[in-house]
Amino acid sequence: MEITVWDGWLAGLAMGLFVIMHFWLIGKPAGCSTGYGNVCGYLCKNMSYYHTGEYSQRNNAKLWFLIGIPLGGLLSALSSPEPWQLSFDMGMYDAVLPQSDAAKAIWLIFGGMLLGFGARLAGACTTGHALVGGAMMNPPSLLAAAVFFMSAFITTWLIFEL
Amino acid sequence: MEKDKKESHKLPLHKSMKLTIISFAYAYRTNILGLIMGTTFGFLMSRAGATTFDYHAEMFLFIDMQLMKVIVTAVVIAMIGVFLMKKYHVQAVTTGMEVDFVKKPYQQGLIAGAFLFGVGWAMTAACPGTVPAMLGEGKISAIFTLTGLLLGTMAYGVLQGFIANNGSYADAFKD
Repeated sequence: MEITVWDGWLAGLAMGLFVIMHFWLIGKPAGCSTGYGNVCGYLCKNMSYYHTGEYSQRNNAKLWFLIGIPLGGLLSALSSPEPWQLSFDMGMYDAVLPQSDAAKAIWLIFGGMLLGFGARLAGACTTGHALVGGAMMNPPSLLAAAVFFMSAFITTWLIFEL
Repeated sequence: MEKDKKESHKLPLHKSMKLTIISFAYAYRTNILGLIMGTTFGFLMSRAGATTFDYHAEMFLFIDMQLMKVIVTAVVIAMIGVFLMKKYHVQAVTTGMEVDFVKKPYQQGLIAGAFLFGVGWAMTAACPGTVPAMLGEGKISAIFTLTGLLLGTMAYGVLQGFIANNGSYADAFKD
């Protein structure tokens, strides 16, 4: 399945305008990973951390933002020339990841856990730290972005080159 | 009271429908705008190539800088926007107040968290923003990554509950 991809500069321009639009419409910086905390609050009724503080009001723009993302992905896939289909094809990663589907699934779940835990420990994800934090030139965000770009760089080299 | 309610509604159907829609849209404007923004974000992520696995590997292996171009352009454009919005004290549509440029503070574990996040990024070729978009595109791998993401987020909640209760995790698991 091939998704239509815009030129990098054009897509970047659109993404930058999106960040500005988000500030103007919602009044707060855009972010993705905090929304997962809201979902966890709904899934685990007794986890006090996701029911207090910034998570005391869970039915907010962040949750609905997260609900909207799959719709956007679906629209993008439907408006691409090739038809929508389910696929477990991972391109270049298929050659380096475990070969059996079950092992691949376990690998992905483990990677996802690192993403989820790391994002909460760092306070935000790529969107919150690199994109929006970078736009506001927030020093902790720039530090976090530098660290995760470095560690992703090292890990990718370890996966592909060793 | 009950009678009052019934009698106060004498508007024709189309007008009453219009008013219902307007008041619904106003009452839920944050949610509706959030949903629209999320859809736009998912679409743009997908068009930028952030949901295509190969671009992540190619960026870190210096083969194709597509995603680097996207993020650098986006940050520069957004930076200009933030500067102008701050200068002209732009008001936000949903809140009616000045846009809140709240910055993520430095928190303990930021470096460790960012390090783990990067490892997860390289392993799954995804980040929390692109996983739902991949799901919409019909990528099966996103189901597993999303499961892991929620488990990781939950683990952080359990950890925080554990710390808050001085090493007792009764809170997280009591029913």
